[in-house]
Amino acid sequence: MRPNDRRYTKTHEWVKIDGEIAIFGITDFAVNALCSGNEGDLVYCDLPEPGRLVNAGETFGEIESVKAVEDLNSPIDGEVIESNTVIEEHLEVLSKDPWNAGWMIKLKPRTKNLAEYELMDAPSYDAYCAAQKH
Amino acid sequence: MPHWRLLETWDWAPGANMALDEAQLEIAGLAPTLRFYTWRPDALSLGWFQRVEDVPAARGGLLVVRRLTGGGAIHHAAELTYSLAGPADAPPFDGPVARSYERIHAALAAALATFGVASELRGARRLTSDLAGTGMCFHASSALDLVLDGRKLVGSAQRRRRGRVLHHGSIKLRASACETAVAELPGVEARALAAACERGLSGALGIELERAEPSAAELAHVRAREHWYASAAHVLAGGRRRGDGR
Repeated sequence: MRPNDRRYTKTHEWVKIDGEIAIFGITDFAVNALCSGNEGDLVYCDLPEPGRLVNAGETFGEIESVKAVEDLNSPIDGEVIESNTVIEEHLEVLSKDPWNAGWMIKLKPRTKNLAEYELMDAPSYDAYCAAQKH
Repeated sequence: MPHWRLLETWDWAPGANMALDEAQLEIAGLAPTLRFYTWRPDALSLGWFQRVEDVPAARGGLLVVRRLTGGGAIHHAAELTYSLAGPADAPPFDGPVARSYERIHAALAAALATFGVASELRGARRLTSDLAGTGMCFHASSALDLVLDGRKLVGSAQRRRRGRVLHHGSIKLRASACETAVAELPGVEARALAAACERGLSGALGIELERAEPSAAELAHVRAREHWYASAAHVLAGGRRRGDGR
């Protein structure tokens, strides 16, 4: 099962509350959909500058693989305080560790109560991914 | 059998072509759509993240737009452009990106075969059309590209946005000064090839096509967005953190 210390979106992002901040990333399912295990197929990731305000469902960045550009969607509302610049130079981090080292942005959340949003816990997200596999 | 719309928009302006592609991702409830199109005037489209300075052809006096998909630049002159758009969780887009390419390109190869064109996936080989330093899509290749006689024939890319997918591509009919060494289909015209591809794709994808015109919502989206796609602000600001003009 995927980590249950965070919540998941239908567009395959995760969000985790850590003290006063929220951390976003994308899931293993999203990474595999883009590169099918070939980490070299990920070619570019565009993340926002600190200070940018994002709303739940809004695009906060983009990731490019050899054959597709995919929007990255914000799971919750808040203000960006840091982007993971390591990812922009080392996209293989997303394949190796999407849950920790592969974090994308840190956010000052409007609220830490994730129940305000339409998000899934790990068992629900696992079931959601299983239903999407072909 | 799933119903898809069939749009044919011949000789649209470059910015309008890009805006109608964007509409396929952004208008809620739009039916899955297959589109064939050509460009007037001829134009060069840059990939979403491509830098102008990495594409020598962009300094050649051609009208330049920037696509919402990634990859290299394409010279839209003697070619047939196509797009398929629909929900990401339904065929042919569901599952990994690579799998959707395999399905779509297999269908396209079957369609091209009905026109007597024996295209195939590139696989592991190197192509005669692989040329360094041009920044052109047709001078770079991946295993999933469709090729003819060792040269790239179809250049394709996808954009995935909020549960929808746009897959568009160019089927090259003839080479040009900035797209040398590519596959060519001598004597083939875009509209005749579109008719063959329409029948072939319909059969291979198992879809029923219904000819349509762009809707009022699509045309409004085109009017609102076509100038931005061809604007210097968008075309020149390749790379990161540009936003999308709204």
